[in-house]
Amino acid sequence: MNPAITITNLSHSFGKHNVLRHLSFSVEKGDFFIIIGPNGSGKTTLMKLMAGILKLQKGQIDILGLANLTYTPKALARAVAFVPQRLPVNLPFTVGEAVLLGRAPYQGALGIERERDMEIANQAMQFTGVDHLTGATLSQLSGGEQQRVFIARAICQEPEIMLLDEPTASLDLAHQVKVMDLMEKLKREKGITVIMISHDVNLAAMYSDQVLLLKDGEVVCIGIPSAVLSFRKLEETYGCKLLVDESPLGGFPRLTLVPGRYRKPYT
Amino acid sequence: MNFVTTKTPRIITRLIGSSCLLLVVLLGAVFLGVSAGSSGGGMSSVLQVILGKSDPDSMLHAIIWQIRLPRVLLATLVGATLSLGGLVFQALLRNLLAEPYILGISGGSAIGAISGILLGLSRFPGVSLAAFMGSIATLVLILVMTSGQSVLKKESLLLSGVMVNAFCSSVIMFLVSLTRDAKLHNIIFWLMGDLSTADIRQVGILAGMLLPCFILVFRHSHALNLLLMGKEMAQSTGINIKAVTITLLVTSSFMVSATVSYCGLIGFVGLVMPHLLRLIFGPDHRILVPACILGGGSYLVICDLLARTLPEQGEMPAGVITALIGAPLFIILLKRSGR
Amino acid sequence: MRIRLKKLKIFWLSSLALIIGMPIPATADTVVDQLERRVVVPDDPRRVISLAPSITEIVYALEQGRRLKGVTRYSDYPPKAIKLPRIGSYVRLDIERIVALNPDLCIAIKDGNPKAVIDRLTSLKIPVYVVNPHNLDTLVETILEIGAMLNAGDRADALTTRMRSRIQRVKSRVAQVAHRPRVFFQIGISPIVSAGTETFIHELIELAGGQNLAEGRIAYPRFSREQVLALEPEVFIITSMARQAVFEEVKAEWRRWPNIPAVRDERIFLVDSNLFDRPSPRLVDGLELLTRMIHPELQE
Repeated sequence: MNPAITITNLSHSFGKHNVLRHLSFSVEKGDFFIIIGPNGSGKTTLMKLMAGILKLQKGQIDILGLANLTYTPKALARAVAFVPQRLPVNLPFTVGEAVLLGRAPYQGALGIERERDMEIANQAMQFTGVDHLTGATLSQLSGGEQQRVFIARAICQEPEIMLLDEPTASLDLAHQVKVMDLMEKLKREKGITVIMISHDVNLAAMYSDQVLLLKDGEVVCIGIPSAVLSFRKLEETYGCKLLVDESPLGGFPRLTLVPGRYRKPYT
Repeated sequence: MNFVTTKTPRIITRLIGSSCLLLVVLLGAVFLGVSAGSSGGGMSSVLQVILGKSDPDSMLHAIIWQIRLPRVLLATLVGATLSLGGLVFQALLRNLLAEPYILGISGGSAIGAISGILLGLSRFPGVSLAAFMGSIATLVLILVMTSGQSVLKKESLLLSGVMVNAFCSSVIMFLVSLTRDAKLHNIIFWLMGDLSTADIRQVGILAGMLLPCFILVFRHSHALNLLLMGKEMAQSTGINIKAVTITLLVTSSFMVSATVSYCGLIGFVGLVMPHLLRLIFGPDHRILVPACILGGGSYLVICDLLARTLPEQGEMPAGVITALIGAPLFIILLKRSGR
Repeated sequence: MRIRLKKLKIFWLSSLALIIGMPIPATADTVVDQLERRVVVPDDPRRVISLAPSITEIVYALEQGRRLKGVTRYSDYPPKAIKLPRIGSYVRLDIERIVALNPDLCIAIKDGNPKAVIDRLTSLKIPVYVVNPHNLDTLVETILEIGAMLNAGDRADALTTRMRSRIQRVKSRVAQVAHRPRVFFQIGISPIVSAGTETFIHELIELAGGQNLAEGRIAYPRFSREQVLALEPEVFIITSMARQAVFEEVKAEWRRWPNIPAVRDERIFLVDSNLFDRPSPRLVDGLELLTRMIHPELQE
């Protein structure tokens, strides 16, 4: 057991609204960990707590074995990098400058770039395939390219854990696969633990090592895709008719939505 | 296309380049400011005085060292502070319309100053102290009002600031309507901004208060860059958002309040200089912070110079010139940059 | 009298200097002005700057106009003052221009000149003598003090004696009057503003045998039209910096209420404001003018 993150009895509320209730689970190092669940289940809140953006109210979060409260913001940034759902695309910087921002946890107050910072930034941009866009302004890029720029920025933090909130939400099919492959590559080549929130259950099935199904702030189920993504659990959680079988690609489940016109229940 | 790795980081070369350029501009502006005034004096004779080659008892000597130089130095400090304050508030509140008086500073200090004038206090330290206390009071009021929600929530800070300023404006108009005679003059001149009472000792004290603030803001300039990504992403990149925001808020409010207390409400500089400099030098705050200090200072020195010498009789408020020149200049630059 | 002129001291010094053959140094004297400040005043001020229009008038009335090198913007009486260099307005003085004129004496007025500027000039080693004439008696003192400083003591005596006798004549004529008419002295048009007890206007009205309807602690009280109607003034005296056209408008405005005694009796007058708010010898002209308007029956 070599946990990257351990969540113990985590609860969180906004005012009177209880968003997370007594969550406990852990994420193994080097895993591709995907969190799914209906809207309002608390996924983003959970991720923000892991990233250290929201203040811990109740419970404990251990990052790489140490309680997250013992980390200074810079130290935490060297361990965990975060790519949010809504990217700051109005950033007036060029791609190169934006990626360099990710080196802040290793720099002094003025963020003076040294050779090593430039090297790492170059590598990160090559890794995500945006190195041909270094001088472009962010607003000129497509959605997929912007996504990859911010992933490159996160890579520059040299994190052990990468958090991404619905990175594929607004991407076209090609870019969806590109980003997911990129995450797999990160995990494979750099040993980074990738924790992702996904809307798309099939992508979760295809890529993840572990899936967490969240509903109303509670863990419904956690485990390998074929265990978690059973049609009964999914139907209960999402409240709609589904068909689950094995993907023709082999090795993981495939989810099909059932339109209303098929009245006969499938077994 | 890879990043070019240079021996000295590019940021350093750009910083030195822009700062040197603006330093030259500032020195030029200071020289012009000291050469011109309501009593004339050609540039060559001014040069003689500055180089120490003239008679120390001459009239021009006294005028330059004791009247014009303190005023030009004051204009530099005020222009620098207001521009820097505008830059910081625009970044903190993530709003391009933010300006240094936005968190109630103009309303509070005006009420303090007017009360001081009506009570017959002397300009310095009486009225200045009253103005300073007024602006700090409104700032504290706004922070208390927004402390229910997160203090750092920019919308509530902004809205509260606007509301408090509006309320103070009506109080000011009420006070003005009650006043007659010479005190009314004093109040109006204070509200328009007045650099004419510069005294070298007081300017020295002001500089002593402001220079540490400039340094503190400069040390946070990369944090300001990161803040452009949004609070959450900045936090996840290692910035202690709460500490940085509060430090910058307090420092900027302090330096703007100190400036306003001394010479009234000079407008427009804090709003337009950051935008102007951004159009010329780009969005990197590590370059913009020194640029605002040097460029903002030069700008106000020139505007004050024009305000002193253009009208045939007396002088215009410097705030009129800053707007008359600044607005068209900004529009021209905006069009040129093709946005 | 607070000025001590040591003419004897000068005599001995110059004799000594002649004997020793040294050049005579320019001498000065320390005096105390009307704000209890110690000022070092030169014996023969040749470059005087007046910091208020009233002071300009006083200096010219003492026939010392040739000593003046600079005046404020509205120093318009006598007409030859208009030719002198301007040093800003009396509430907004231009320090640079003042210093450039190299004055050896500035005469300032407490009500109006900003204290900060006076202090600045003093710190630049320019002697500033501040006067504070707030009624006729202190005005006379002021004229005498300025006269002494400008070596025009005799002229000052003659001027103030004549002023005092004119004032006395008015007093004695008015003393026999049975009824003191109610006078409303309007100095502001919109809003309507009059003058309270602490003003020259009040003093002049009372001396001229009238009753100032605006008397009270507030120096420049505001009135609504209703309040003025309720006071039933018998004489309206209107002064403003505006011209005849505006005066006709104001008169027409009051005429809408014919039951005001002043309207009924057609006793609405326009006067030059400079005769009533500038502490200068012309205040006595103002007094005589007022007496003619308030008590026309007393004219010989």
